[in-house]
Amino acid sequence: MLELRNLHFAVDGDDGPEGGEKREIIRGINFTFEKGKFYAITGPNGSGKTTLAKLIMGINPASSGSILFDGQDITNLSITDRAKAGIAYSFQHPARFKGITFRELLNLATGIEEEEQLVSLLMRVGICPLDFLDKIVDAKLSGGEIKKIELATTIARNPKLAIYDEPDTGIDLWTIGPMVDLLKREQKNYGTTTIVVSHNKVFLEAADEILIINGGRIVFKGVLGEAMNLLNDMSICNFKSCCEGDDQNARCFR
Amino acid sequence: MLDALDKELLKAVADLEDIPKGAYNIRKNGKLLTRANSANISIDSNADGTGIVVAIAPGTVNESVHIPVILSQAGLYDVVYNSFLIGENADVTIVAGCGIHCGTESPEGHAGIHEFRVGRGARVKYVEKHYAAGKGSGKRSLNPTTKVFLEEGAQVEMELTQIGGVDEADRLNEATLEASSMLMIMERVLTEKGQTAISRNDIKLAGTDSRANMISRSVIKGDSKQNFYATIEALAKCFGHIECDAIIMDNGTNETIPALKAMHPDAELTHEASIGKIANEQLMKLMSLGLSYDDAVNRIIQGFLK
Repeated sequence: MLELRNLHFAVDGDDGPEGGEKREIIRGINFTFEKGKFYAITGPNGSGKTTLAKLIMGINPASSGSILFDGQDITNLSITDRAKAGIAYSFQHPARFKGITFRELLNLATGIEEEEQLVSLLMRVGICPLDFLDKIVDAKLSGGEIKKIELATTIARNPKLAIYDEPDTGIDLWTIGPMVDLLKREQKNYGTTTIVVSHNKVFLEAADEILIINGGRIVFKGVLGEAMNLLNDMSICNFKSCCEGDDQNARCFR
Repeated sequence: MLDALDKELLKAVADLEDIPKGAYNIRKNGKLLTRANSANISIDSNADGTGIVVAIAPGTVNESVHIPVILSQAGLYDVVYNSFLIGENADVTIVAGCGIHCGTESPEGHAGIHEFRVGRGARVKYVEKHYAAGKGSGKRSLNPTTKVFLEEGAQVEMELTQIGGVDEADRLNEATLEASSMLMIMERVLTEKGQTAISRNDIKLAGTDSRANMISRSVIKGDSKQNFYATIEALAKCFGHIECDAIIMDNGTNETIPALKAMHPDAELTHEASIGKIANEQLMKLMSLGLSYDDAVNRIIQGFLK
């Protein structure tokens, strides 16, 4: 349902001697996400996970390559048009708004104004108490509260494809389990294709397929069991043979 | 008695569809149009005929008084001096505001000088809206002055709004707070095209445990310009806060200067000020909910000025 074809993304790097050198963040990603499946994207910090997620939503413009969604080339579509096509995005650090309430955000996300329908939407999401509805989505909210609101507005869109960037940032330990259950339930009940960018093992365990990104490339795709060795290897440096050495002179390939 | 134009202006500045209930004074083109008193609220012309005196009896609760001004006479600059005497322990809402309709090349303007004496323990909500419309090219100016004296334990909440159509505004707010009194000012100003707006605020926290909170939200579009100055001076153990945020768009310019003066060791004064474009992350979020770029901008501004 979502196909990435030789996708590249580069930004202006530090000025080199020649000036204006490009720095590639995503270096040729090819992958097809299948309808209704749950994917977890993981990898070291700075590997390009969030950049890839933002390329799919159109927040970052692709430098080259293409993105196909349900057979349609969306590479040059705006964020708005991708949202209308059925993609929803949950930001790692959600925006805060002076003077806009959660109710109004839900209303913008869904067009629903009736109290009853809004309440049943919150019941479906489950992790937001009803008294959140009239809270202003501003800097006064805690990190956990705003993440719950972010998640709710994403689910409220009834997306075909939902992308969650680090959904557990700021969320208390007791809510992470219910949050995973919620995303799985959405996948099951509504056939939502789900992509979660996360380091948290509970999301990796929930996924049907894991993608490990490193240095802007997919270095692994498959099930968690097979990914564990690689993930363990990435978590700490222990001078593996792949680094061509076993002492302080080893070359680092990360 | 009210024509369609009057009604439109009244609706814009005072949310009135028609003549209100209770006490009111409607001024049109520099003259009294209609007035009514209630059992507890009396409105009289002042001694020199330059404005009105609104007297609210002590203990008056849950009453409101409307004193809108409407202007549609070419070339008129209307100056009015109004006094409000609010009795002890009263709890009232005062709705003021000025609407200008400019149909010609001649300028039109209004300067409302309002002085409030708020008695011990009284609570006042003051709502003032400024609005101008009309196809004429004449300059529309609104230059209000508001002076507030809060006696011990009094509470005043002021909502001052100027949204659209006013070419030139120069506002002065002054307040002196006695012990345990509280003042909350919320000012919202939107300017566009070549409009200018200046807001000067001087708040003196004179009494122990007095509190003041001044919030300003500005949206500056087109080639317009807004300057915001606020000073809180603390003469006692007290609490004061200034929060001023400005969103600049197009070629808009803004100068924001909050100032805090502590003349007492137990004064607690804070301020936060920000000037900038609409944050990208806000636009991205609303666009990811399906709004176009322009709709996202409008929605953010609408919330900001709410």
